[in-house]
Amino acid sequence: MTDPRRTLVTGVIGSDTHIVGNRILSMALEKAGYKVVALGALTPATDFIKAAVETDADAILVSSLYGQGELDCRGFRDMCVEAGLDDILLYVGGNLVVGKQTWTEVEQRFLEMGFDRAAPPGARVETVLEWLAHDFATRENPPVPPLTKGGSKAGGL
Amino acid sequence: MNAPATADLARLPLTEQRLPDDLFSRMRSENLARWPTGAAVDIDEAVELHRRLPRHKQLAQVMRHAVAERRCLTQPRGGFGTFEMHRDLMVALDREGHADVVPTTTDSYTRNEQWHLAQQGIEESERLGRSMLNGYPMVNYGVARARELIDAVDKPAIMLTGTSMPKLTGEIAFAGGYSGYLGSGIAYTTSYTKELSIEDGIRNYQYLNRLAALYQERGVELHRRQPGFLTGTNIPPSIAIITCVLDCLLAAAQGVRNYGLEMGETLHLVQDAAAVAACRELCQDYLVRKGYGDVFTPVTLLHWMGAWPQDDAQAAAIISYGGTLAAISGAASVTTKSTHEAFGIPTPQINAEGLRMTRMAIYLARKIRLDGMREFEDEKELIKREVRPVVDKTLEMGDGDVALGAVRAFEAGVLDVPWSPNRGCKSRIMPARDADGYLRILDPGLMPFPKDVMEIHKAKLRQRAAQEGVAFGHELAVSSVYEIAEPVAKLLSDRWMR
Repeated sequence: MTDPRRTLVTGVIGSDTHIVGNRILSMALEKAGYKVVALGALTPATDFIKAAVETDADAILVSSLYGQGELDCRGFRDMCVEAGLDDILLYVGGNLVVGKQTWTEVEQRFLEMGFDRAAPPGARVETVLEWLAHDFATRENPPVPPLTKGGSKAGGL
Repeated sequence: MNAPATADLARLPLTEQRLPDDLFSRMRSENLARWPTGAAVDIDEAVELHRRLPRHKQLAQVMRHAVAERRCLTQPRGGFGTFEMHRDLMVALDREGHADVVPTTTDSYTRNEQWHLAQQGIEESERLGRSMLNGYPMVNYGVARARELIDAVDKPAIMLTGTSMPKLTGEIAFAGGYSGYLGSGIAYTTSYTKELSIEDGIRNYQYLNRLAALYQERGVELHRRQPGFLTGTNIPPSIAIITCVLDCLLAAAQGVRNYGLEMGETLHLVQDAAAVAACRELCQDYLVRKGYGDVFTPVTLLHWMGAWPQDDAQAAAIISYGGTLAAISGAASVTTKSTHEAFGIPTPQINAEGLRMTRMAIYLARKIRLDGMREFEDEKELIKREVRPVVDKTLEMGDGDVALGAVRAFEAGVLDVPWSPNRGCKSRIMPARDADGYLRILDPGLMPFPKDVMEIHKAKLRQRAAQEGVAFGHELAVSSVYEIAEPVAKLLSDRWMR
């Protein structure tokens, strides 16, 4: 299922140091056969984009656990477009906002910001692997009718 | 984007020694000039303010009393992005949660000295009517506002700042009447930063410790505290205690006399009780050895610092059990979490609920102690046999100087922290949970633990691997990261007879 030619950029955005889940995710993605550019904790948005341009990446996976992700992720898609990464796949996941808010609202907020998928607190590595396989396959062979973005199933994981 | 870091005027070679008065005075002037609110810091006025605080609002005194009376105090975390939201939170934690110590957690921009970003966060929070910051931007609001917060509660207040850059936040908080400050050079640098060197982290906290000592010289004892919970991810007690010993020696060298030590709960009752006793005894041993006979070192346990279950009922069990553990271990205080932990920052009410759950558990367990119990004594001895060789090697590497020794020991991997984001930390040591629920060391990396001690750890973990039919290796460490967050039916099946 996994396409080994695909390059993924991972990291924890902004002033956030929560590295553990992101490191385990990066290890699992590598094990699944992807080329992973792991930027680690405390990574500014611009560094994600710079790394994606330099490595000609296919997707950027942004982690945020500390609640300020909503501020840090604003304009992320626009910055990608400005850098020429118009079609890059963008995922975001973690504890994305301050406080326990309804996931469907949080998800909608991040999809509107231009992320293709948003993973709720506690989402598992296997889910992310399924999403990637599905989304890359869809890009190569667009289905009719096209897939609705960000399946609501994610909320129940 | 950021305020410029303090320039290295007359940067002395790194040493544990007390910062000279004239140099410290110059460093302070320069530090206070980095953001407009720094101008309001006046040490004479601040000393007067602290002197006028009632004793029950002075954390140093409150901690001393708690230990004398064998109490286990409660303290939550908490901080919101605007003054009003934060004041309401502090009041709720005091009145509804009966917190013994009221916290102010700073937001992550403040922690990284990105005060311009924090300002935007304040404005956005006000515009949207909800906190967009994960804490209170202490520097932006300044001294006068801090004093209003202190006036709003009837408890001592502590700064929780998750930063290796505490210099301006510390100045403003102390001047505002905060009598406690959590943070240290080794622990926070290895747990909360990526690029900052261990040396710079130590230097930054030498400043804060020297500042606390400046108040001490003027008759005001402040409570400094060390965050030995580190990365909060399955930290075995010995790893925590090694950093407790080193950070507390560094603080004592600057003149600090009231220094708390924190450890995350392992969630194994016997191991936690052994850890608290070992931490207290080892820190005092080394302090006395270095000639500091008068440093008060209360120990604090923290509710589980790893990943939490999403189920409220499971989370409530960890909170209550965490209070029980703290009380039985003889900790002077426990730092609490709430049932919202899996989702991030709790509301004031849910936060207060976590405090009351913990408080009830402490009440029930108040007189129980494990002293004399074989398993407890053995575990305490094991922890000491892990800590001593590493601390001794570190001191030897610094020719007796703790600061130099720590820097060199991290370079060599003699000191190490699991799951650290810092580039200066090898993070080769790997912990995992054994079949009985103790945290053990799966891979010591380059840390010089005695061979027979490592054999004990490995044997325990092999037992678990065999029991679960998994390979003895890295996978044990990874599954241990998620274990406590798993659904309870998976951890303890009710279909066990089928």
